[in-house]
Amino acid sequence: MNLALALCVAVLFGAGIRLMLDRDLVRIAAGTILVSNAANLFLMSAGTGGPAVGQGQPTSSDPLVQALVLTSLVITFGFTSLLFSILHAIFRAWGTLDSREIDRPG
Amino acid sequence: MIFVPFAIGWIASLVLLALDGTKRWVSWLALAAILGMFAAAVALLVQVADGLEPSLISGGWPGGIGIRLRADWLGVGFAVPVLGIIAAILFIENLRGGLRARIGPALMVLVSLGLTGVFLTADAFNFYVFFELSMGSAFAITALGTRGKHVRVAATFMVTNLLGSVLFLIAVGGLYHATGSLDMPVVAERLGVDPVGPPLVVASLLLAAFLLKLGIFPFHFWVPPVYSETRAPAAALLAGVLANIGSYGLLRFGGEVMPDALQAGRGLLLVIGAATILIGSLLAISRQPVAEILAYSSIAQNGYILVALGIGGRAGFAAAYVYAMVNSIGKALLFTTAGTRGPLLGGAFLVGAMSTAGLPPALGFIGKLALFRAAWEGAEPWLVAWIVGGALLAFLYMFQAFQQRFWMARDEEHSVPAARVAIALFAMVALALGVWPEPLLGTGAQIASLLVGGPR
Repeated sequence: MNLALALCVAVLFGAGIRLMLDRDLVRIAAGTILVSNAANLFLMSAGTGGPAVGQGQPTSSDPLVQALVLTSLVITFGFTSLLFSILHAIFRAWGTLDSREIDRPG
Repeated sequence: MIFVPFAIGWIASLVLLALDGTKRWVSWLALAAILGMFAAAVALLVQVADGLEPSLISGGWPGGIGIRLRADWLGVGFAVPVLGIIAAILFIENLRGGLRARIGPALMVLVSLGLTGVFLTADAFNFYVFFELSMGSAFAITALGTRGKHVRVAATFMVTNLLGSVLFLIAVGGLYHATGSLDMPVVAERLGVDPVGPPLVVASLLLAAFLLKLGIFPFHFWVPPVYSETRAPAAALLAGVLANIGSYGLLRFGGEVMPDALQAGRGLLLVIGAATILIGSLLAISRQPVAEILAYSSIAQNGYILVALGIGGRAGFAAAYVYAMVNSIGKALLFTTAGTRGPLLGGAFLVGAMSTAGLPPALGFIGKLALFRAAWEGAEPWLVAWIVGGALLAFLYMFQAFQQRFWMARDEEHSVPAARVAIALFAMVALALGVWPEPLLGTGAQIASLLVGGPR
């Protein structure tokens, strides 16, 4: 199960970074969501009481990491909405969300 | 006692969120709240100076379970000047007519609250939460502080810094996994017993996260557009206040929690710091607009903090603290001055410029001197030469900025006289600290002995 979680974190993180390198600001925002949630999943699997999912030696999973993830999920959610409101302001100012158009010199 | 700044901050920000921040009296109310937090931080400083370590475990939990807040020299040494700088920026802005945004005053209080929490918490995850509180408010302030099409820099700022936060969060997870605790002294103790494996990975993540905040060389690309396209008070807040999260984080996590990793990464820090000084200074010289010169100059100046950390030891840590404070005060002064028009400002800008170039009697001289001593004692003669070279370049680009901003004739509307007088006063305070640097140097020495151990 740990391997599955590790792979999941890796795929989420990689896909997020790939999206963040895109020209389209909406894709960049989607990338930050994926990367943030990859971190949340990593945090979830960092518990010391046993694996977060599936069978392990201890009978209960670590409650502390779940509290941490709950907190960071809320933060991620707040930041996502803030980021989208900033994108909205950019769209109103520029009429586009393509960073090639926005960053064109002159 | 330690809860007082938090209580003031939480209550004030909730009240201010309900009020209409476009009204001037609401901005003044926010200033009153920040001054209250400043006074509470000074009271904590007095207690720490008396040899106490005020601390509080949230919710009355026994030690090791609850989140612990504690004030030590490193914490209050950052909290007091930073809250003072925020108050100064808001005071000058209020004299110029207030923040003119509905939630502006509340955001200023939230930034102060977040930073106070960052400096006073002993819990690594709580550090992350407060750090996000101040960063989130800063994202909003940046977005509000831009006009028209400039709002695009808010997205740049937010996305790059969110990535930094994610790296930090992963590092916190790693620390917890490796040690089973989030309390910084406990983590430090357990890492000290068995410093193998994960610590270096975690340390590299932390380093990357804080370098991104500070805008150090490989991660510096986001700084110039953000600092130069936001309005002056927002830029002053970012360069003079929020960059301190980076320097504080490096001192706290590098000096206290993972000293072995810092020792292992010394060479890397020195090389990155030296490269940042050179690249930042050269780019600053090649720029025309004053705001861009200042932005590249902040990159270069933060390189010195990294060099001081790389030298390490008692003198190095003290120099890193002194330099971080000197640079914050200087950058806050320069950015607010550059955003204001009219007489009296030339002198204020000159004080800031001299501080950046490290000329006495300005504050920057003290920072350079501390760094010099550290480099000399650390037996790194090439660094001494490098620092002198950086100072010469700084002299060149700051003079260019001064010439550009104050010697070229132009017709422009003058800012309110009261704001200009306030900026002049701010410059006088910076000069006074340069003439009597004992408080800064003393705090630096205390922080160094806290991190290295042993008496002063």
